[in-house]
Amino acid sequence: MRFDFLSEQEVEQVHQATLAILKQIGIHTTSPRFKSLLLNSGCLEQGDRIVFPAEVVEKALSTAPKEFKVYGRDDSRVLEFGKSKAYTQTCVGTPSVMDLDSGEKRDVQLKDLEDYVRLADALEFIDVVSPIFPRDVPQEVIVSAETVAMLRNTTKPLRICAESSHEMKYIVEILAAVVGGKEVLMDRPLAYIEVSPLSPLEYGFDPAEALMDIVEAGLPLGVIPCPMMGSTGPMTLIGCVAQHNAEILAGVVASQLLKPGSPVIMSPRVTFMDMRSGVGLWAMPEMGMAAAASIQLARYYGIPSTATGYSGTSKLADAQSGYEHLYNALMPALIGTDVLAAAGSLDNVLTSCFAMLVMDNELSSVVQRTIKGTEVSEEKLAVDVIAEVIETHENFLAHKHTRKYLRAGELWNPPLSDRQTFEKWAVKGEKIEEKARLKAKELLASHQVEPLSAEVDAELKQILQRAQEHAQHGGGVIQKT
Amino acid sequence: MSREEILTGLTEAVIEGDDGLVVELTQKAADAGIEPLVIINEALTKGIRIVGQYFGSGQYFLPDLLLGAKAMDAGVKLLEPLLLGTSREFYGKVLMGTVQGDLHEIGKNIVGMMLKTSGFEVIDLGVDVPASKFIDKIKELKPNVIGISALLTTTIGRQKEIIEVLTEEGLRDQVKIMIGGAPINQAWAEKIGADGYAEDAITAVEVCKKLVASA
Repeated sequence: MRFDFLSEQEVEQVHQATLAILKQIGIHTTSPRFKSLLLNSGCLEQGDRIVFPAEVVEKALSTAPKEFKVYGRDDSRVLEFGKSKAYTQTCVGTPSVMDLDSGEKRDVQLKDLEDYVRLADALEFIDVVSPIFPRDVPQEVIVSAETVAMLRNTTKPLRICAESSHEMKYIVEILAAVVGGKEVLMDRPLAYIEVSPLSPLEYGFDPAEALMDIVEAGLPLGVIPCPMMGSTGPMTLIGCVAQHNAEILAGVVASQLLKPGSPVIMSPRVTFMDMRSGVGLWAMPEMGMAAAASIQLARYYGIPSTATGYSGTSKLADAQSGYEHLYNALMPALIGTDVLAAAGSLDNVLTSCFAMLVMDNELSSVVQRTIKGTEVSEEKLAVDVIAEVIETHENFLAHKHTRKYLRAGELWNPPLSDRQTFEKWAVKGEKIEEKARLKAKELLASHQVEPLSAEVDAELKQILQRAQEHAQHGGGVIQKT
Repeated sequence: MSREEILTGLTEAVIEGDDGLVVELTQKAADAGIEPLVIINEALTKGIRIVGQYFGSGQYFLPDLLLGAKAMDAGVKLLEPLLLGTSREFYGKVLMGTVQGDLHEIGKNIVGMMLKTSGFEVIDLGVDVPASKFIDKIKELKPNVIGISALLTTTIGRQKEIIEVLTEEGLRDQVKIMIGGAPINQAWAEKIGADGYAEDAITAVEVCKKLVASA
C-alpha cells in the first residue's frame, strides 16, 4: 500500500528549497558546543548564523540509519522504527487533565500521571508512553521525576521530551538503572528522546545541548520543532513544510556529524494559528495535510519519522474529537510514519483525557488495520470459491473459506464502538464517550503493571534524590548571559 | 494635496497596513506644516482605531492588525524628532518579557502589539529575561503593568519566582502583574498571586485595561 501527498517532482522541489534554506539562511545557536560541532565539520559561519553546504547535508542523510528499535522493559513491546507501522503515542506535557469522575478540567497531579500511564499500559493499541505534566513534583527535576513515574507504571517503550539540558545526565542514569547499565542501554534503548528547537531556525541553548547529550548517550534522538503557519513559519502550507524540513534536517545533520550512524527521527509538527485570537491550533485539515507532506519528505530521505497524530481543537472527548483525531492521524499514517503522537489529547494538546485515550485506542486500532492494506493473492481473490458457491446454490457463510479468513482476522474487531441493533443499544442508550470513560475506570481498577524490582526501584529513588540535591545547589539553574 | 487629503490618505494607509505609503504621507504632512501631534492623533491613531474596529467586527485578522500597527509605528517614528517638548498620551505603561530559559515570544509579541494598538505604551524586554532584569526595569521605568510570558512547562515556574522576588524587594504593590502562555491557566495565576491572566490576546487587552483602571 502506498499513498503520496506530493508528486515525485514536488518532493524534489521541496528538498531543493530545504537545501537553499540551509545553505543561504542557515540556523542560529547560543550553544558554543553545538556551534563548534557544526563549524568543525564543514558548516560555515555567515554573520551570526551557521549555514550548511549541500554536500554536508547530503552526506549526513546518507549515514542516518533507516531502521532501529526502541524497547519496552517488557521484551515483547518493541518499536521497529523505519517500518511505517503507525504506532500510537500518548500526548506529552499537557498541564491539564479531565478528571475521570467529575469530568472537570484541572491541573495534572503526579497521581494522574501514574494513572494515565497505567491506562496506556492497559490499552492494546497504545504503543508508546509519554508523560503528562504534574504540578506537584519538584519542577527542577520534572523530566527525571516523570521518567521514573512512567517506568513504574508501564512496561511499554517511552518517549521523553528534553526541554532543558540539565536533567539529561539523570534521565540517562534512570534508564540505564532499569535496563542494566549504560552499555546495555545503547543496545536496548528504553526511550527515544526528542528536542524542540525554536521556529524559525533557532537552536537555543537547551535543545542544542540536549541534542548532543542524547546522541552521546547513544539514545535515539527525535528532532521536533513546531512552527505555526503565518506566525513562526510562512503562511503557505508548503512554505512552512520547507522551513520546517530545514530546521529538522539541521538537527539530523548535527546528530550525524557528532556520531555517524546514530539513530535519529524526524518529528514534523506544522501547526497553525487562529488568526483572530492568536491561539495555536492542532486542528484539521491543515495539520494532517502538512504532516502528510513532511512525512513524505522523511520517507524520501529514508529516515524514521513521527507525526501528530491524535490531535484537535475540541474541548471534550466528543464527536468533534473523534473526527479531528482520525483525520490528523490517518493522513500521515497513509504516507508511512512510524509513530502518531498526542493520543488522549484535547484542546490543542493542552489537556489529557482518560476517555479520549480509550477512544484513541480504538482509532489507533483502525488506523493500524488500514495501513496493513490487503494482500492480493489467488487464494484471497477467491475466484474458485465464488464459482463453488454459485454452482452449489449455497451462500458464502457456509463455506470454509469464510471461516478460515474470519478466524484469520479479515474483519476489524472494534475495541469500543457500539454495533448492536437499535433496540439492544436503546436499553442503555449509551454514548461512546461515556462508554470510553467507564472502560477507563474499569481498566484502572483492574490493570496491574509488572513492578520494577525492589533494588531498581530503590536506585531510581536515589538518582532522583541526587538530581534534586544537585538542582538545589544551583546545578539546575541554567547559567548563561 | 490639501491638508484634509493628506490626513485622510494617511488614515487609509494605516488601515491598509501600507508602511511605505505612511512614511511618504507623514513626510508630506510634516512638510505641509501640520503639527506632529495632529498627524498622530487625527490620522495615524485614527487609522489604527479603525483597524481595531475592523478586527473587533471580524472583518480583519491578526496580520491586518500587525501590519496596521507597523504602518502606524513607521509614521510615529518619523515624527518623534519633531515631538520634543510634547508628549503622547497613553492608557498606561506595560513592561513585557518571556521568562529566563524560554525563547518563545510569538504570543507575547501578539499581546504587545494588541496593547499598542489599544493605546498602551509597551516596552518589550524580549526573551530569556531573568527575574533581576524585570526588577531593574520596574524600578527604572515604573510601569503600571508587567506581562510575564512562558510557554514551556519547565519554565512557567519562573513566573512564580519573579513575583516572589518582587515581593521580597517590596515592589509588589507598585505594579500589576499579568501572566500568559499556552500552559497557563487561571488556577496557576491565582496560585502564584498574579493579578491577571488571559487565555488569548483579545482578552489580554481587556484584562490589562481593568488592571490599570483598578490601580
